[in-house]
Amino acid sequence: MIRREAIKLASRIIGNAHIISANGYISRDLFETDDKETNFYMLGSMGLASSIGLGIALSNPKFRVFVFDGDGNILMNLGSLTTIGILSPKNLIHIIFDNNSHESTGGQPTHTRKVNIGRIAQTNNYRVFQTSTKSGLTKILTKTKTLSGPIMIVIKIKKSKYISKRVEIEPKLIRKRFCGTLEKKARY
Amino acid sequence: MKELIQRQMFDYLLTNGVKNFVGVPDSTFKYFLSHGLKKNKIIISTREEEAIGIAAGMVLSKQTSLVFMQNAGFANSISTISSLIQLYEIPLIFLIGWRGYLKDDAPEHYKIGKIQPQLIKSLGLSFKIVSESNWKKHCKWALQNIRKDIPCALIIRRLS
Repeated sequence: MIRREAIKLASRIIGNAHIISANGYISRDLFETDDKETNFYMLGSMGLASSIGLGIALSNPKFRVFVFDGDGNILMNLGSLTTIGILSPKNLIHIIFDNNSHESTGGQPTHTRKVNIGRIAQTNNYRVFQTSTKSGLTKILTKTKTLSGPIMIVIKIKKSKYISKRVEIEPKLIRKRFCGTLEKKARY
Repeated sequence: MKELIQRQMFDYLLTNGVKNFVGVPDSTFKYFLSHGLKKNKIIISTREEEAIGIAAGMVLSKQTSLVFMQNAGFANSISTISSLIQLYEIPLIFLIGWRGYLKDDAPEHYKIGKIQPQLIKSLGLSFKIVSESNWKKHCKWALQNIRKDIPCALIIRRLS
């Protein structure tokens, strides 16, 4: 499974839950395959998708919040795992699309090729799942609907030559539409 | 800043709508923090940028939030402030401890302390330097900025 396929599948199953997607190809794939007002495309601030997701999860305990993260991204903010571990939001699902590389800058290797990010998350009070197939991902996402978090799903993906288009929405508009859906959801 | 004033400043911000206080501690405002910790209103993060991310998520959820840090951590955060807070226009209040304001502060604070005003000005982040006599006026100013969706900073100097 390549990242684009995994992102499309996960986003479709998640439906209208809120997603914070990491910068680079992760946001681009999500934008191209399943653009929704509930997606927050983080364009800069590499590493911080999980922190933004944590802030949203803590402020909205009644609904689930998803983070679409990359291995390079989470490695830049490993401290985030300890903060999530301490605060333990039940409604946070942290998905790592792990290709062991910084794909958007030319495929340079990351440390997850030899270090297990799921095990690090486990010691930080996460419930952890791992898969590399579409059927595995579908099963895990269905199962975790009734489990309390923080949950990490590590999806081992293959590198691909396909490059999705850039996110074509103005940052301010990304914020506006995302906030609008948050407010709406919080009201019901 | 005196202990009593720091506690009053925390209470003022809390009662005037600041819901979350997230960041990395600094001795410049330690009484502000100990008072907030007693009230269970403080979240300590591992790095300043992480704090900005968490608070940004809270602001997107319509909760007024403040991020606290030392100016060394502010220097660490410049890219995040420009590519997240300013890019998306996310209104946050920064509370920054200004180490290296006095020349006899610890040597690691000297350089960033010296360029602190230029650093924050070149980012285009509006700020006020808070003292024992003007703190309330400047807190009001910060809250007014937030209502207009403008991120801003309050700076506390280390004077001893």
